[in-house]
Amino acid sequence: MRCGNGIEARQVNELFINIDPIQAGGRLTADAMKTVIAYGDGYSVCDNCRKPNRLDYITKPPIAEFHRDVAKWLNMDAVRTVPGARRGFQAVAQTYVNKGDPVLLTSLSHYTEFLAVEEAGGVAREIPASDQKLVTPDAAAAKIEAVKKEFGRVPVLAFIDQVDYQYGNLHDVAGIAKIAHQYDIPVICNGAYTVGILPVDGKALGVDFVVGSGHKSMAAPAPSGILAATAEREREVFRTTAIVGDVTNRKFGIKEPEMMGCTLMGATLVGMMASFPHVKERTKHFDRELENNRIVMEALLSIEGTACLSEYPRKHTMTRVDTTGSFDKVAESHKKRGYYLQSALEEKGITGVIPGATKVWKFNTYGTTRKQAEHLAKSFTEIARENGLAVSS
Amino acid sequence: MTFQAIYTLTDLRILLRETAPSHEFDANQKAQVQRLLENLERQVGSLKQEILK
Repeated sequence: MRCGNGIEARQVNELFINIDPIQAGGRLTADAMKTVIAYGDGYSVCDNCRKPNRLDYITKPPIAEFHRDVAKWLNMDAVRTVPGARRGFQAVAQTYVNKGDPVLLTSLSHYTEFLAVEEAGGVAREIPASDQKLVTPDAAAAKIEAVKKEFGRVPVLAFIDQVDYQYGNLHDVAGIAKIAHQYDIPVICNGAYTVGILPVDGKALGVDFVVGSGHKSMAAPAPSGILAATAEREREVFRTTAIVGDVTNRKFGIKEPEMMGCTLMGATLVGMMASFPHVKERTKHFDRELENNRIVMEALLSIEGTACLSEYPRKHTMTRVDTTGSFDKVAESHKKRGYYLQSALEEKGITGVIPGATKVWKFNTYGTTRKQAEHLAKSFTEIARENGLAVSS
Repeated sequence: MTFQAIYTLTDLRILLRETAPSHEFDANQKAQVQRLLENLERQVGSLKQEILK
């Protein structure tokens, strides 16, 4: 079935259990799907835009209220919606980073944080993760001192991923922020895998900014996200325009340069708004998600030669496993080579594992029902047994 | 009425997601599907009446 112009109707989530590591938290709620249908037209949310003519002031649909609610929910003071977490990183980097400035990242930072720093002319300096793939306050302190020695000044900004994209590990953001603030370094918490997934409290973390991803973790269409700031930082990043045209003498009211005027519009915004009550609620039940992940992990670890590369027990549902000693051994002699695993999973109604991957790969059980988690667990062990791998009971 | 019918189908779509890949419904889900399909029939019936009158 086609939507139009050669675009197939996508039914991945209707036909399969989708364990794609980056897709799990972005699956739409029914309410989001409904609003997307109603608000697909370009400037659909602008029907009732009135003075001062900025998107986050619109009350119908309740965009202004949504902004306030998200800020309160994250225990921050101000929020703007952005077209993806990366645009949040970009806005903050553009505000604080000048050419040649050192910026603190981590060895597990997402590439878009690097690009945000690069675009602003900054120099990346990474806090190395420990052998356990955790970024610690001690390592942060050591790196700040090293940067101070190298540049004669401290980093102008620190990016810390609360849960990193590589291992799905939960890092001590509060501890790192405390250290960074001792050096007056503003901290941006990358919550792309946490905001909308588990409870996030910006003040408790002690960070200056929290960035969330709508399409990764807030059941929203892409590209969408949020940038939250403290009252102190709000004035800096969400400063209003001061530019004046020399011929027309035009000024642009309260538009914000870092947001390029108005922010997220149309289906992306209302999709995120419609999912928000459900997203708020689901973060209170993250323990259920971890339980489903545990069911799957225990099954995987019962397959001889399989190891969990992420911290274990898991604190997040996105997990990196090493099956070099199990599924990859089968691939060596299987007629489908490394593609047998994906093929076998698909036969059991499971998708989302990178085609051909049998060594190191990631998956995410977020959003599965208990029954689906049990199906996943059973399927992995069945595939292992069918291919002659030892499975402990 | 167009939206109502589409939204009913959307609710059905969500049920398909929650029960993938087997789409085996428990008693509650079966009742829900039944209700949704009845609503859909009624909504399509109203559409026929309104649009084709």
